Amino acid sequence: MVEFSDEKAQDAISAVLRYGSLLSTAVMAIGLALVLWRGQVMPRSGALSLGNLLYSALRLDPAGITEVGILLLLLTPVFRVVVAAVSFGLERDVKYLVISLGVFAVVLTSIIFAIH
Amino acid sequence: MTLTWLQLVGLTVLGIAAGGAGSLTGIGGGLVITPVLTLLFGIPIHQAIATSLCCVIATSTGAAATYVEHRLADIRLGMTLELATTLGAITGSFVAGWLSREALAILFALLLTYAGSTMVRRSLKGREIEAAGQERYQAKRLPLGLAGSGAAGVVSGMLGVGGGVIKVPLMYLVMGVPFKVATATSNFMIGVTAAASAFIYYSRGDVRPLLTAPTAVGVFIGASLGAHLMRRTPSRWLVLLFSAIAYYFAVLMVWRSLHGGFAR
Repeated sequence: MVEFSDEKAQDAISAVLRYGSLLSTAVMAIGLALVLWRGQVMPRSGALSLGNLLYSALRLDPAGITEVGILLLLLTPVFRVVVAAVSFGLERDVKYLVISLGVFAVVLTSIIFAIH
Repeated sequence: MTLTWLQLVGLTVLGIAAGGAGSLTGIGGGLVITPVLTLLFGIPIHQAIATSLCCVIATSTGAAATYVEHRLADIRLGMTLELATTLGAITGSFVAGWLSREALAILFALLLTYAGSTMVRRSLKGREIEAAGQERYQAKRLPLGLAGSGAAGVVSGMLGVGGGVIKVPLMYLVMGVPFKVATATSNFMIGVTAAASAFIYYSRGDVRPLLTAPTAVGVFIGASLGAHLMRRTPSRWLVLLFSAIAYYFAVLMVWRSLHGGFAR
């Protein structure tokens, strides 16, 4: 029932989930440490945009880094969907490739709302 | 924005408790986080729900990684049902934006009551369910499963819970999926469902980094600890204790809604 390539797909998916949760938690923890160290932090001004966020992260802005960590957390399941889609594509499993792309499309719309 | 040491510790402890409870009993920390944040920390319920969603992602991602590793989750079934849950989640998230705090609190109380009753029933049923293993199966009644998953998604998006309380019985009882696979697959699905909701809450500004991050980090710690301390089958009294807490929170939420509401 489980083909060879399916094994690789499941390994890839669990790896994305594992490393995603570790990375996002680490970034959040670092951000929090900086917040505590710096004391008062400025609230994020301006709209959420990737540019703003990356800029603030590079400046070691504690609130920015914490927020990046949270975004990484939220994006981990999204990456997982992408990896699943790619795996289904490689396995030539058209039906589930389409289904995963469908899920990705739905989540993408919600991400667009967040960025708008 | 500031974060006092007290807040940090409080939120992290809450996260650890929720992560641990979720890990040990298999029942969502999401049910615990929102009431405690709303009732104890005085956080507006929409922000509490947003925080809860992020924590639910944290638990789900970690647990799902293990389930997939052990080949317990039915990825194909999960992805199919996710079409419904994600659409439901986005819908639920928008609806939450239109509802008052009191209305959400009452709905949450209803969910807590339902969850509490499910837990009581499950603990009374005992171990027979857990024994069912890896037999071959064919998921049946997909249309009904999709409808149910859509509903679970709406609940998840509206109240910030994982929805496992609905998804697991749906797969196990309605679709004929073995219990362990149902649990694993539900965990797998929760992450993307909650993520779809979380972005909507993000767009409304309900996700507060200094609120979310400590709790999420706590959840990660708690869930990891729980997995290590793990006795795979939760003891009966632990689950019953959990239901008692759920009922207690339900009562408190209703009481608060009716007496003075949640206006700050």
